[in-house]
This record gives sequence, structure tokens and C-alpha cells, in this order.
Amino acid sequence: MKYVTTLAAVTGLTALLNAVPAAAADTEMVYQFYCAQCHGSTGKGDGPNVTKDFPVSPRNFTDAAEMNKLSNADVKNVILDGGPSVSKSPMMPPWGKTLTEEEVDGLVQYLRVICACEGKQG
Amino acid sequence: MRQKLASVTGAVCLLAMATASYADGQAVFEAKECVACHYTEGPAQEKTIEDQQAKLGPELWYAGDKFQAEWLTAWLTDPQPIRPLKFNSLTEDNPADHPALSADEAASVGEFLMGLTSGEVEAGTVKVKKNAKGRQIFTKKMPCSGCHEYAGRKGNVSGGRSGPSLVDAGVRLNPDWILAYLQKPEFFKPVKMMPVFVGLLSDKDMANVAAHVANFKPKK
Ligand code: HEC
Ligand code: HEC
Ligand code: HEC
Repeated sequence: MKYVTTLAAVTGLTALLNAVPAAAADTEMVYQFYCAQCHGSTGKGDGPNVTKDFPVSPRNFTDAAEMNKLSNADVKNVILDGGPSVSKSPMMPPWGKTLTEEEVDGLVQYLRVICACEGKQG
Repeated sequence: MRQKLASVTGAVCLLAMATASYADGQAVFEAKECVACHYTEGPAQEKTIEDQQAKLGPELWYAGDKFQAEWLTAWLTDPQPIRPLKFNSLTEDNPADHPALSADEAASVGEFLMGLTSGEVEAGTVKVKKNAKGRQIFTKKMPCSGCHEYAGRKGNVSGGRSGPSLVDAGVRLNPDWILAYLQKPEFFKPVKMMPVFVGLLSDKDMANVAAHVANFKPKK
């Protein structure tokens, strides 16, 4: 409850309307709940949805070379707006209406920990 | 007989005419300890990820909105897996060990569950028929098929495994509920592994994709 109130005060009405009342910024839990189903619990792109007929491999977050091609802003955008917003597969869902901005920022940092990389700068 | 009556006269008459059976069903539901894993009173209790993960089975407080009565009664006597994976697990398969009821028990529990409605589903909004736009959304435009199994034209099953299987969903789910579930995520289930599509799909496209899903039926 306190969390909801603070959130509303800090990020204003728009964020409140978009936000589901999810748990406070426990990024690990957020990742395991929403992302691991495709990207896998350790980020290797091997979640249970990736069967032999899955059309395109979900990004392997442990691949530093691939993850370094993306800036933190790129990562944030694709999480918010989904694959097609950056000419990637629609199998990467848009999460902007599901997650709070705080949760998405947490995920961007979390992916940097998994890839042990800093991402494209500037 | 009872079932036919229910589908013909609708929920309001059902409540008025068959209160005894609804109460019987509720008694069986409690005696069989179904309550240990399912809650039957709204509103939604899943406010956080922890809330969802603490549950042992799906919520049933809007079962009367969600299911088709005939499917429900039959499933209760022979509960075959709906979710490919074990509830709340990403690694284990569905153990296919759901408790089964006798035909009599299933008939009364079915009436009890079909009486659990929310008032948030508008009847007759989804026209179930072949819907090319809905198909496009389900398989190409949106990631639905990434998380849900469905049967292709030749009956071959493909799709993801984290969501409930939608193979033959047209026999199991109420088409109007599918639309309401897409339109009112915060009402039916505020926190779940499925993304919110409000603001991403128009009401019209939600109706299209609902029609497509409701048209998933066994091949004759
Ligand atoms: C339904 C499956 C699915 C889910 C769930 C999913 N993703 Fe993805 N994701 C994909 C696929 C598939 C791709 C690869 C798209 C491509 O290469 O065309 C991808 C790519 C990405 C990329 C790389 C984008 C790029 O430009 O290379 C990031 C970052 C990402 N996902 C983050 C996330 C996060 C964070 C979550 C959880 C909030 C998540 N994904 C949930 C399927 C999924
Ligand atoms: C040990 C926990 C447990 C008990 C006890 C239990 N269920 Fe379930 N129930 C589940 C799980 C888990 C599922 C999901 C099964 C699946 O997806 O195949 C489920 C699914 C259902 C469904 C379908 C719901 C949906 O959204 O798909 C109905 C209806 C149902 N149960 C009714 C009952 C009834 C009636 C009883 C008592 C006879 C009962 N359950 C006892 C765990 C339980
Ligand atoms: C990232 C995975 C994911 C995506 C993408 C996704 N779903 Fe789901 N869906 C789920 C999960 C998980 C559930 C079960 C939620 C719960 O009960 O906790 C679900 C539930 C449903 C249900 C109710 C099924 C039942 O028996 O309870 C329907 C209908 C549905 N989704 C349709 C769709 C449609 C249509 C789309 C595309 C517009 C879609 N889903 C996209 C994961 C997904």
C-alpha cells in the first residue's frame, strides 16, 4: 500500500494507470516471472516456450558480444515496446503496459549483470 | 437434462430454480477439499508475484464466466491436463494428477462453479467464426503463440508451453470471457505471466483474436 502511494506520488498518474500493482523492485523475481519463460532462468535463451518450432531464438543474455551491440536505452525500448519496435521478431512481447518503469529499469541493470557487459555507450 | 436447462435459461433462472443443487455443489466442493487449492470468492487476490506463486491451483471465482458448462462437468470427471507445465513451474511437466469426481458430484459442482460470475462479461459480443485478422494477430503480429499451444490446420500442435494450452479452447472457454479477459486484465488477474494488451490491441482486434481462439475446435 505504501509502495503504491509512493509510486503514484513519484511517477504521476500515467505511470499509475499503466502499472499493475506488482511487488516492489525485486528484479530477480520480476525476471524469473516474466522473462525466464522464454529467455531461460539463467538467461541463455532456453526457456520452456522455446520448442523446436519457436520461430526465432530469444536473445541469449549471456552472450556479451551480442548484448554489447545494444545500449541501455535500446534494451529499455525493446522491453517496453516489443520486438517489432526495433525491427525484431514480434515473439518478443511489449511489456510497457505490464511492468512499471522502475521494474523495466531494474531489468536493464539485471541483464547487464547476466552478460557481464556494459553495452554500447553514448 | 439439468445441463440443457442451464444453457437455455441462463444464469439468473438457474440460480432461482436450482438453488438446492448449487448448494449441493458447494458442499461437495468443500468436502472434497477443492478449497485447499482454489478460491471461489472475488475480487482477484493476485496483487503481487508472490501472491500468484503461493497459489496451488487456478482461481475459480469467475468460473461461470470463463467456462462452458458442458466442458466443465465432463472435465471434472476426467481431468486431463490444461497447462502443459506443472502449475507455477517452468521446469516440470504437468503431473496429470488432478482429483476426479463421480458423474453426480461433477454435475452439482459444475452447477456451483457455473454460478460464480462477476457481472463483468458482456454476452454475445464475440462472433465465433473463421477470423483472418484474429489469426494474423495470434500467430504473427503478437506473441500469443509464443506462450500458448494451439492446433494447426492439420491438427498438429505447436506453440509455447508457459500458458494454458489453447488447443480446443473453443469447447472449453466462453468466447465473451476471452474478450473480457483481454480487455480487463486488472479485474480478472492483475498479476500474471501474460502481458497486458490494453492500449496495444484495439477493442476490435481483441474481439478478432478472441473470435480466432474461440474457434479452436476439434477437427471433425
Ligand atoms: C514470448 C517469449 C519472450 C518473452 C516472454 C520475453 N522475450 Fe525477450 N525476446 C524474445 C525473442 C524471440 C527475442 C529475439 C527477437 C529477435 O531477435 O528478432 C527477444 C529479444 C530480447 C532482447 C534483445 C532485443 C534486441 O534488440 O536484440 C531483450 C533485451 C529482451 N528480449 C528482453 C526481455 C525481457 C527483459 C523480458 C521480460 C520482461 C523478455 N524479453 C521476455 C522472446 C521473449
Ligand atoms: C492439490 C491442489 C488441487 C486440488 C485439491 C484441486 N485442484 Fe483443481 N486444479 C489444480 C491445478 C494445479 C489445476 C490446473 C490443472 C491443469 O492446468 O491441468 C486445477 C484446475 C482446475 C480447474 C480448471 C481451472 C482452470 O482455470 O483451468 C477446475 C474447474 C478445478 N481445478 C476444479 C477442482 C475441483 C472441483 C476440485 C475438488 C474436487 C479441485 N479442483 C481440487 C489444483 C487442485
Ligand atoms: C508471455 C507469455 C504469454 C503471451 C505472449 C500471451 N499469453 Fe495468454 N496466457 C499466458 C499465461 C501464463 C496465462 C495464464 C495466466 C494465469 O492464469 O496466471 C495466459 C492466459 C490466457 C488465456 C486464458 C486461458 C485459460 O485457460 O485460463 C487466454 C484466452 C489467453 N491467454 C490468450 C492470449 C492471447 C490471445 C494472446 C495474444 C494477444 C496471449 N494470450 C499472449 C501467457 C501468455
